[in-house]
Amino acid sequence: MTTTLSSTSPADADHPTPFTGTPELGQPGQVDAHDVCAWFGGRLVLETVDLVMEKSKVTALIGPSGCGKSTFLRIINRMHEVVPGAQLAGSVKLDGVDIYGPGQRAMETRRHIGMVFQKPNPFPAMTIAENVLAGLKFSRVSPADKDDLIEESLTKGGLWNEVKDRLGELGGALSGGQQQRLCIARSLAVKPRVLLMDEPCSALDPTSTLRIEQTIKEIASEVTVVIVTHNMQQAQRVSDYCAFFLAEENQPGRVIEAGKTGTIFGSPTDQRTFDYVNGQFG
Amino acid sequence: MTPENTIRTAPHGILVETTSAPASTADGRQDPRPPEPTSPNTATPPTPTPRPRRLPSPIRPSAFGTQDAMILIMAAVSSLCLVWVVFYQLTSLSGGLGFLVCWYIGFVALTWIATAQVIERQVATDRAVAVVVVSAAMLIVAIVVFIVAWVAYKAIPSIHWGSLFTKDQKSFVVTDPNALDHVGVVHAVIGTLEQVLVAVLIGVPFAIATAVYLNEVKGWGVKTVRTVVTAMSGTPSVVAGIFIYSMLILTHVLTYSGFAASLALVVILLPSVTRVVEEVLRVVPSGLREASLALGAPEWRTVWSVVLPTARSGVVTAVLLGIARIVGETAPLLFTAFGSQVVNWRGYFNHDQGALPLVIFSDVRQAQPVLINLAFQAAFVLMSIVLVLFVLARIFSRPKGKNGKRMKPGPNDDDLMARLFVPIPIEQNEENR
Repeated sequence: MTTTLSSTSPADADHPTPFTGTPELGQPGQVDAHDVCAWFGGRLVLETVDLVMEKSKVTALIGPSGCGKSTFLRIINRMHEVVPGAQLAGSVKLDGVDIYGPGQRAMETRRHIGMVFQKPNPFPAMTIAENVLAGLKFSRVSPADKDDLIEESLTKGGLWNEVKDRLGELGGALSGGQQQRLCIARSLAVKPRVLLMDEPCSALDPTSTLRIEQTIKEIASEVTVVIVTHNMQQAQRVSDYCAFFLAEENQPGRVIEAGKTGTIFGSPTDQRTFDYVNGQFG
Repeated sequence: MTPENTIRTAPHGILVETTSAPASTADGRQDPRPPEPTSPNTATPPTPTPRPRRLPSPIRPSAFGTQDAMILIMAAVSSLCLVWVVFYQLTSLSGGLGFLVCWYIGFVALTWIATAQVIERQVATDRAVAVVVVSAAMLIVAIVVFIVAWVAYKAIPSIHWGSLFTKDQKSFVVTDPNALDHVGVVHAVIGTLEQVLVAVLIGVPFAIATAVYLNEVKGWGVKTVRTVVTAMSGTPSVVAGIFIYSMLILTHVLTYSGFAASLALVVILLPSVTRVVEEVLRVVPSGLREASLALGAPEWRTVWSVVLPTARSGVVTAVLLGIARIVGETAPLLFTAFGSQVVNWRGYFNHDQGALPLVIFSDVRQAQPVLINLAFQAAFVLMSIVLVLFVLARIFSRPKGKNGKRMKPGPNDDDLMARLFVPIPIEQNEENR
C-alpha cells in the first residue's frame, strides 16, 4: 500500500539531474512538500502534508506531542529512512528537485539540508574546531582556509567570542547551550541551503534559548530555517511562517493550518488552532 | 519539646529519635529537614543553632562511629567464643575451614542481632548485608594479593637478574649447584610476546569488525552471529588448541610453531574482545550517529570517525583485557607451540617455540629445585607483563584534554563509564533505542 520512494511525477522528468553542484551550496533553498504521508511499521502517523517552506524565511512547525512534526522534519532531509520500519509517500522538493527522486543520494541531500537535534550532540572525541569541520571531513571536502571557516561558522552560531581561545578543547567540555550552538555552527559549516531544527532549545535554559533565537534570526538571510518547537512564544518570536500540526485521537497527524505567523497567532481560521495557540490544550 | 516532636520520620522512612541521638558529625551529614516551624502557642526560648545530627540510616563503613565499630568487634569476638564452644567443646568437630565458615555465619548473625538491639531492625538488616558484601569484596582482594605475594615470595629470592632475561634453558646441567646462573626464560618471553602480538594483530581487527557488524548493522544475521560468538566464547581453550592441531598440524599445513599457537590464541581472543567491544559500542549515544548522518556522512564514515573514536578508550580496554586473557593460556600452546628450551624468534613460523605458560607448566613438575624456582620466576615475569599491560591500558584509555595531553584522572574515574569512555552525558543513549 505504500512505497518507500515517491512516485515519479512528470515534474521529476524536468529535473533529472541531482543537485550536486557545489556553487548552489550556501544559497538558501525553498522546500516544497507535497502529499507527504509517513508510516512507522505499517501505522500511518502523518497524512497528506502539503507545505511550502519559503526561501530565506523561518518556518515554525507547532503542535502537541506525537502529531508528526519531528517525523515531517526528518522526512525533509531523509533522516526518516534511518529508522527501521519507516515508510513514506509523497514528494519533497528542494528548489524543484525531488530529494526522493531516482538517483538522489541521501548523503548528498543531507549536505544540502542540515539538521540540529533536540539534545546537543557534539562529537565528544573531537575538539571544538574538529567538530566544526566534521561535516566537510565526512564529505572529503577540504576548505580553502580552515581557520576562516571555523571562525565564520562559529560566529554565525554565536559562539566565536566564547570559544576562540579554546578551539583545541573537546566539544563535550562546553555547557549545554554552547554545545547546541556548536552543533548549529557545525551544521552551518557545510553551507546548507536549509537548516532543520528539532526543538533545539527544549533542553536549554532561557538565556541559552535567547542566544539561539538570535542566531536563528541572524542566519535566516543565508539559509532557510525550519524549526519544530513546543514553545508558542518562541514560534512567535523567531518565525515568519507557521504550520500547526495536530493528531486527533486515533488519527494520523495532519497540518490543520499554515500561514504567516501573525495570522496563525492573531486570527486563525480554524477553532483548533485558536485553542492551541491560546493555550486551551496541548 | 512536645512529645510529637520527639519522633519523626527520616527520609529513609525510619523512625528516628530526634532528641537522643548523639550530635556526632562523624558522617558529615547535614540534616535534610527544614528548620522546625515554631508553634505560636508555645513560648519558645531562643532556639540554639541547629547542629547536624546523625541518622541511624544506612551509612558507609568509612563513616562508622565508635558505636558501630564496637558492635562489629564485639560480634566478631562473641562469634569466635560461641563457635569455639559449640565447635570444639560441645560437638567435637574439627577442621580450620569449617570453623572459619561457622565463625563467619555467627559473626553476621550476631552483627544483625546486636544492631537490632542497639539501633533498629531495618538498619540491622542493612548492616548485615553490608558486612556480607564488604567481606566478599575483601576476600577477592585478599585472594589476589595472596596469589601475587606468594608467587613473588617464591620467585624473587632465587632470581638471578643477570641471567633471567639473557639466557635460555639449553645450558641447564642437573648437577650444577649454580645452575640458575646459566638459565633464564628469555626464550619463553620472546615466544610469548611473538605469539600474543601476532594473535592480537590478526584477532583484534576481526573482533572490532564483528562488533561493528553486531551493533551497527540490522538484519537477521545479527542474532545468529551473536549466538555463535557467545557459544565461541564458551569454548574451552584446550579445544581451540586441538582444533588448530588437528586442522593444521596433523595435516602438515603447519609444523609445531609459534604461528600455530597464535592461531589457537586468536580463536580464544576473538569472541571475548568482540563481546566487550560490542557492549562498548552499544553505549555510544545514537544521537551522535544521527548527527553524523545528518551532516551527510556515509555509514562507514560515521562508524570510523564518530562511533569508534567516541568509544576509543573502551575499545583499548577491551583489547587489553583480551591480551590479558590469552597471555597466560597454556592448554592451546601444548599442541601448537609445543615448547622449546632455546631462543627461537626467527623460527616463529616453522619451529617449536617456548612460551612462559609452557615453562611454568613443564618446569614446576620437575624434581630439580632450580627448575621449580625457574617456573616461579616465569610466573612472576608473566604477572609483571600483565601488570604493565593494565597500567598502559589505564594510561592510554584516558581521554586527551587540551594540548593533546592525557587528562588526569578526575573524581569520576572510579565510575566504569567514565573510565571506558570520553565524558559524554549517558542519558542521550535512551533516545531512539
